[in-house]
Amino acid sequence: MTMFIDAIQALILLMAAPLVVGVIKKAKARLQNRRGPVLRQLYYDILKLLAKDSVESPTVSWIFRITPYIYFTAALAAAAFLPIWLYGGGFANDLLVFIYLLAAGRFFLVLSSLDAGSAFGGMGGSREMFISVLVEPVLLLAMLTVAVRSGSTNLFAMAGTAMQETFSLSYFFAAGAFFIVMLAESGRIPVDNPDTHLELTMIHEGMVLEYSGRPLGLIFWAAALKQLILILLFVLLFVPWPSFGAGSLLLQGISIVVKVVLVAVSLAVAETVTNKMRLFKVPNFMALSGLLSLLALAAQ
Amino acid sequence: MVAVDWYYLMFVFFFAGGLSVFFGGRHSGKINYVAHGLAALGCLATILCAIFVFRQGALEFPLPLSLPFGVMTARVDLLAAFFLLLIGVGGLAASVYAMGYSKEYYGNRYGLMTGLFNVFLLSMVMVITVSHVAAFVIAWEVMSIVSFLLVNFEYEKPANTRAAFVYIVMTHVGTIFIISAFLLLTVAAGSMDFIRFDGSALSATTRNIVFLCAFVGFGTKAGMIPLHIWLPQAHPVAPSHISALMSGVMIKTAIYGMCRFFLDFLGAGPVWWGGLILAIAILSCVLGVLYALMENDLKRLLAYSSVENIGIMLLGIGSGMIFMSKGEPLMAGLSWSAVLYHAFNHAVFKSLLFMGAGAVLQSTHTKDIERLGGLIKKMPYTAVFFLVGAATIAALPPLNGFISEWLTFQALFLLPQAVSGVAAKLAGMVLIALLGLTGALAAACFVKAFGIAFLAKPRSLRAENAQEVSYIMLAPMAGLAVLCVLLGVWPQGMITLISSVLADFSGLHAGELLSANWYSIAFTGANAGGLSIPLTIGILLIGVLIAVGLSHLYGSPRTIKGETWTCGIVPTSHMQYTATGFSGPIRRVFHSVLRPQRETIVDEIDTNHYFGRRLSYQVAITYVFNDMVYRPINRTILLTARFMKTIQAGSLQLYIGYIMAVTVLVLIWNAGW
Repeated sequence: MTMFIDAIQALILLMAAPLVVGVIKKAKARLQNRRGPVLRQLYYDILKLLAKDSVESPTVSWIFRITPYIYFTAALAAAAFLPIWLYGGGFANDLLVFIYLLAAGRFFLVLSSLDAGSAFGGMGGSREMFISVLVEPVLLLAMLTVAVRSGSTNLFAMAGTAMQETFSLSYFFAAGAFFIVMLAESGRIPVDNPDTHLELTMIHEGMVLEYSGRPLGLIFWAAALKQLILILLFVLLFVPWPSFGAGSLLLQGISIVVKVVLVAVSLAVAETVTNKMRLFKVPNFMALSGLLSLLALAAQ
Repeated sequence: MVAVDWYYLMFVFFFAGGLSVFFGGRHSGKINYVAHGLAALGCLATILCAIFVFRQGALEFPLPLSLPFGVMTARVDLLAAFFLLLIGVGGLAASVYAMGYSKEYYGNRYGLMTGLFNVFLLSMVMVITVSHVAAFVIAWEVMSIVSFLLVNFEYEKPANTRAAFVYIVMTHVGTIFIISAFLLLTVAAGSMDFIRFDGSALSATTRNIVFLCAFVGFGTKAGMIPLHIWLPQAHPVAPSHISALMSGVMIKTAIYGMCRFFLDFLGAGPVWWGGLILAIAILSCVLGVLYALMENDLKRLLAYSSVENIGIMLLGIGSGMIFMSKGEPLMAGLSWSAVLYHAFNHAVFKSLLFMGAGAVLQSTHTKDIERLGGLIKKMPYTAVFFLVGAATIAALPPLNGFISEWLTFQALFLLPQAVSGVAAKLAGMVLIALLGLTGALAAACFVKAFGIAFLAKPRSLRAENAQEVSYIMLAPMAGLAVLCVLLGVWPQGMITLISSVLADFSGLHAGELLSANWYSIAFTGANAGGLSIPLTIGILLIGVLIAVGLSHLYGSPRTIKGETWTCGIVPTSHMQYTATGFSGPIRRVFHSVLRPQRETIVDEIDTNHYFGRRLSYQVAITYVFNDMVYRPINRTILLTARFMKTIQAGSLQLYIGYIMAVTVLVLIWNAGW
């Protein structure tokens, strides 16, 4: 039973993910006085890619071929484990399973970036591992601020605790910490630039440079889903107000949707007002997040 | 049959295998199969002995040895049986693998190698099973010396001799501490039999000394930082099937020793014991994996990763000790379960990875990953098995490394509930973050190891001409890889086993993990969290179905071949990212710890068509503890030796004079002035 609810939740999120990307792109374009693509542009792109043949290098092995499936599956499974429905079940929706599922997707994506033997792929992969090394500890710390209060690493328990609590300074710090992590983990400015194909700045785009056609469609979709997952996690664990409890699912659902849109717009604002950081400034940025988490933990 | 029969059979097999030291090189082919076959049979008997102990309860019998230390007993309780199982599994795989791998070493000394291999296995089994100080110390020494001889097997190479020397020195320093710990217990108990040892009879100071001695002594063998320096030197130079045994199995005897001392002899102690262990543990984790990531020698990379994994086990031990001293039996049970689970997992996947590295070494004759590449096409099976090992050591679900890492995370997560004070609670959180950092670094390290060595184009002629190794080497790797998956998807079995092992000890209560449904492990003691691997796998399967469905949405996918995009130049292996380049950003961030020294050499002659001149780039990192701890010690010893030289002038008259002077002094002293 649990499995099917989880799977349905994952499917709904999967369908919604490209729309969130559309919202961010539209908001960003508006802020830059452009009209921007239509909200549903990424659906068109993905559908187009899913119909196309793909080109692959003679150098690559089966790792390159299975990676899109693994990356997609890992993101989908992580989406299944998000504590959205609040039906009280979900004993196994553990924080670490969630984090390590995303890590599994990244593990294979970086492997496949090395597989084609181009310098661009290697550069992207190397930087992705570098960013992940910085992000993983601070991501854990930020999540722990909530986990410690609920005394559990179960995502449902954590979301439930967050909903019942009133606003405190600790939340303020923790939300700041997670927002920074979210920027880095979903590959946005100031850490990575999702719109560039310039060799010296790209990370995620560098890794997927050799992909085309259907595999690329899957990777795009999974990346959009991963971004939505992080936004939702931010909303559910760090900005749980106004909370309507598990009783009124409809109001709760509307509030979540509104908050997701607000966070998406705030991402666009953050991208517009900041520059991309030099790669070796990122450690300081992550240290700031870690510091905020420690403050949040100490303030409890 | 009963367990004791299997025990004697094991002894007979290993002993018979050990006799091959007397055979020369002419019969290498026969010796190989007979001696390693006997070793494999001995390991099978070891596994069966452990299984019978698990079914029939602890085993105890006097050893038929007459040494002047009283009756020596062998006692195989469940803890010993658990480690017997570990030795049996690791040893069986290594023995079969050796039949293929050790062909490289056919020659005059081959009999010696196979014989010592058997003696090595026997000595490890003895270390685990004897229950008497003298017997333990003898077995421990035999284990150390035999492994020293195996490390130094190719003594023609100066690097090997040096590594073996460092190993034998360090291991003996450790042995001194172990013997001290045992002697203190022996004096208090008035007996050399383990069963009479009782930590609570000791004074607080003596207990602390025993703890420190045991921790330092076994920690040296385990390879924890800062006592690790021998491990990354000795493990890579040994023949690969020996490396697999040393890294996978031998260092677990040290974990066994710690379990025996901390759980059995000493029991719950003051909180700082656990705190000290945690501090050393996290240092081993982070530094171990950082060094592994910087390493381009495949086997040394694996050796450093062993340091990291010992750190993860020590994290469990440390938190377990804190919970025991705070009177939290449930959480202590969780922590110690994590230790034993990870010990077993590490034995499985590290043996697998060393065997993979050995296969690469045999086929390409190089351990330098900068000279490898493209092996996934030349050695497809080895590549799959190595990938399984790499994924499980990076703790990817649903493989076994994830389960034990999850247990360790849970143990650390509960730590703030047991300790008091904001600083201690924050320290607990920082430990979790650092374990997360370790996990990410381990993932980066094994992405690098697999990605550079196995993927893309071959970087040298040797890699170009690589061939898949023989089936007899692939079979044990396949077995271990299957075990990695099984222990990951069905953790309940192993946890049941571990909780029955831990049920013997007071101060902790294991088995709480299993009280939830059949399809999950959940720690109900503190509502901490749960894990359901079947559920995860179910969701993953649904995900794969959707992904495959999507790519078949518009008919079955077709692919066209096209060269890798390199701005129009024909791609060569020189354009690929190197291992050094891959780890570059991380080296730069951790430069204060690693202190890299870079050197770029530019060759002025026009040798390269595209770049105009030949560049060579070298980077070496500095090992903090070598500089800070070992160099000063070395210098002091040398200075002392120089001072002694002036007294010891080599003149006979002077020596007689010394003897005279001492005799006169003693006489005067005895006469009481």
